[in-house]
Amino acid sequence: MQRESSAGYITRAPRSSGLADVLEILLDRGLVIDAYVRVSLVGIELLTVDLRIVIASVDTYLRFAEAVNRLDLRQVDDSKSVPDLFEKGGEEMAETKTKGAVEGGMDAIKEKVGLGGSGDDDDEDDDKERSRSGSRSRGNNR
Amino acid sequence: MSRLYLYGITRPREVPERLREQKVFLVEADERAAVVSELGEGPVEATRRNLLAHADVVEQLHEDAVVLPARFGYVLEGQEEALELLALPEIEHLLELHEGTCELTLRGKYEESVLAEVGADLQPLRDAYRVSPSVDAGIALGEAVGEALAARRAHDQSLVLGALGPLVLDVVAGDPASELAAFDLALLVERGAVESVEKQVEELASRLSPPLHFRLVGPLPPYSFVRLAMPAVA
Repeated sequence: MQRESSAGYITRAPRSSGLADVLEILLDRGLVIDAYVRVSLVGIELLTVDLRIVIASVDTYLRFAEAVNRLDLRQVDDSKSVPDLFEKGGEEMAETKTKGAVEGGMDAIKEKVGLGGSGDDDDEDDDKERSRSGSRSRGNNR
Repeated sequence: MSRLYLYGITRPREVPERLREQKVFLVEADERAAVVSELGEGPVEATRRNLLAHADVVEQLHEDAVVLPARFGYVLEGQEEALELLALPEIEHLLELHEGTCELTLRGKYEESVLAEVGADLQPLRDAYRVSPSVDAGIALGEAVGEALAARRAHDQSLVLGALGPLVLDVVAGDPASELAAFDLALLVERGAVESVEKQVEELASRLSPPLHFRLVGPLPPYSFVRLAMPAVA
């Protein structure tokens, strides 16, 4: 029973199954032999710039505050008052904004490595069309 | 003399048909072999296709035997250079070390509801923000939530590491890569221990989910455990 309830919270993949899985592992880890062999690459400088999303930004704080406030309201107030309806409207906007920002960094990377809307797009976490608009929020991640 | 793209280093053996068709071959020296393919002129492009191809080659080879995966982008100027590389004592050492090991990556990510949980103790700041939702009040609340989330991350990561500790040989902890990311762990384990780790992760999920979601990938080549401890040559 416990297993059943936890199963939905585990994603299991036997091998790297998309760019998100391999990106950091191949660019940041792996055997480093710089002393003996020259790296011959283009594109990496661009990639590494966006590899990390800066977590502690004013933008993040405001999103956190907004989210806590919204989740708080959901818990304590079931009334269908006018202010409540207003909050609901704002809630959807906030949701979209948060998602876009969180995924914006990885999205920017995908754009740079030539990930278009091509048919071989098998990334597991690529299913969000909305993250395509992540470029807007990308600038906010700094 | 043709340039060779380096995928990794392994023990001499037959290259699987599928990889041979992709022109992947081994340059062998004694008990060591470089996994390479011929490369045209110009630099290697860090495209999605190339990155996934690199991972595919080392991960397929790793299914049967030890592979030290190279970082993306190494090019050897011919077979001589491959042989020099294989002659390094460090290489033999790492091959012996990773005989029978594999890497599992375990990432944790929170649902947004974690913010309400970690913000539960911040009632005065929450009230202040609700009464007057100014930027300053928002930053004050958000910063406090961020701190509480960081504490939650640290707590959950140490819980996870504590539970998995007896099963793993080594751990590399990366930084969380998004706002709601909880942890990013590379675990070095014996191949035979993968199943036990899976069970333990299920057990952890029964305690920590929701709001925590786990993503477990592997068995992979030991990407995060192949540091060469050698002096940098200018």
